[in-house]
Amino acid sequence: MNRQPLLNYDANDQMIVSAAHLIRNGEASYIGVGLPMVAALLAKRTHAAKATIVIENGIVRTEEFELPQGTDTLGTQFRADKLAGLSYISYLGQAGFISLGFIGAGQIDRYGNVNDTVIGDYHNPVHRFPGSGGANDVVTFCQRTCIILNQSKRRFPERVDFNTCPGYFDGKPGRREALGMRKGTGPVAVVTDLGCYEFENGEMILTSVHAGCGITVDKVKAETGWDLKISPKLKETIPPTAEEIEILRTVAAPLLERRRRTDMETK
Amino acid sequence: MGKVVSMKEAISKYVTSGSLIFIGGMQHGEPFAAVHEILRQKIDHIHMVGCLVTSLSLLIGEGRVDKVYTGYYGQDINRAFWLSRAREMGKYPEFIEYSHFGIAQALLAGQMGIGFIPIRSQSGSDMLKYNPNITVTDDPFTGEKIGAVKAIVPDVGILHVQRCDAEGNAQRWGTLGVDAEGINASRTVIITTEKIVDSEVIRRDPNLTIIPGYRVSAVVEQPWGAHPLHLAGHYLGDWPGLLAELGSEDGYDTYMNACVYGVKDFNEFLEVRKTMKGESYFDRLKIQPIPSEPVFHGYMEVER
Repeated sequence: MNRQPLLNYDANDQMIVSAAHLIRNGEASYIGVGLPMVAALLAKRTHAAKATIVIENGIVRTEEFELPQGTDTLGTQFRADKLAGLSYISYLGQAGFISLGFIGAGQIDRYGNVNDTVIGDYHNPVHRFPGSGGANDVVTFCQRTCIILNQSKRRFPERVDFNTCPGYFDGKPGRREALGMRKGTGPVAVVTDLGCYEFENGEMILTSVHAGCGITVDKVKAETGWDLKISPKLKETIPPTAEEIEILRTVAAPLLERRRRTDMETK
Repeated sequence: MGKVVSMKEAISKYVTSGSLIFIGGMQHGEPFAAVHEILRQKIDHIHMVGCLVTSLSLLIGEGRVDKVYTGYYGQDINRAFWLSRAREMGKYPEFIEYSHFGIAQALLAGQMGIGFIPIRSQSGSDMLKYNPNITVTDDPFTGEKIGAVKAIVPDVGILHVQRCDAEGNAQRWGTLGVDAEGINASRTVIITTEKIVDSEVIRRDPNLTIIPGYRVSAVVEQPWGAHPLHLAGHYLGDWPGLLAELGSEDGYDTYMNACVYGVKDFNEFLEVRKTMKGESYFDRLKIQPIPSEPVFHGYMEVER
């Protein structure tokens, strides 16, 4: 495959392409709305044609579909393999039958805890996010949860103000299991527009930087709210192929544009 | 024909101020026509439960909502002026926050007639600090920790369906969100339907019935009753268009005045929309439905 760096992609494209790489062919994936959905559709049209996509409203499908603006459209329903309700989808996860979860996040901290609720005081917030939706369920249930978000110091605090979707709490072992969560669940990867991360002993570590977009480790550290651990095996992020960028452009362009505008407003 | 009534009658008889209302349709086939009627009748102090209910913003913007039991709602006051409007009126609702599965299971416990249900998610989340209806308890059989969510029993549930007979046997398909749990948990049930069909139609495919007639108090026939949302097998939605329209204060005011308060019912609203949006607006939302393979439920004795 052609892995030559291209000129015509940016860090947002890299983020989605890197996220898509985390989806394995044939895997059942609980996919959140927005960037996770873009990544999943890209994966399905490239290396993971046999991935099963699970959407919270009650959709289980293996056939491709057009990127929806919300979670549910006639297009996401039509030609699904199974339509049911939200509970059925969550039962699949709660019983351990969805291996991969893919969500966005308002904020994420050092130990993979996700804040989708509030920055500042709960009753007198500095910023209000919309709330958990299905995200708490995804992070609780799935064996591997991947989180995708644009990175800034504000969105990468050492500890989240509000723990909407617990990752590894304070990093001490066994915290999840003590609350009834299945062993071997939790966040395993974070992908941002600056780099890719994994978890080691419950703590987020940087495993690759988007060097092809001019991102440096110093830039990553500057946008991280704690003393970030760097993997000894740190790599340059695998750049997108021409095919991936082409598919991303045609399939996801409208959402990507909306997303960029929103990020410009919030950053 | 006792149950078949107008929207005006159904809402005025069964939805009262202070009610806990379940609104069905999780971004699919919401009972928009019924919400318009609730707005017109100025029913207030509403407690609402549901997931991703778009028309909730209209009720909040008009200052009619006291409490919202939900999992996800755009509460950024800078981006949703109806929230600042509610705040100015001193009517900013209290949000009681769950995960989506938490809401679904609270309603399921309501449907099941039990006080709570065990659940793996939500545990360890800070949601537990602010929501007294979710907690962590001990599994009585293993002694291990397990989450629990308290039942929600709505006073009245409203669901829009594709078809329903005059007795209230209601059939809905497509994605179901929290529809089955929510409507079956509700004490009083209002069904709005694209079409009232003969009971024979229902009985030929009874697996599709989401709630049986004896649990239903009112049936309202309302074509396009979920518009501007989509409905499986019937029409596309204009959700992005609606959000763009309601996103500006002028657009919101125009919508409320011309489309809700300025009309006597939803049919008149649909006519007003044609004028506002152009004749072809509804043509663009129409679909060419594709039938499913028939299933064979019924039988006759074979002549031997």
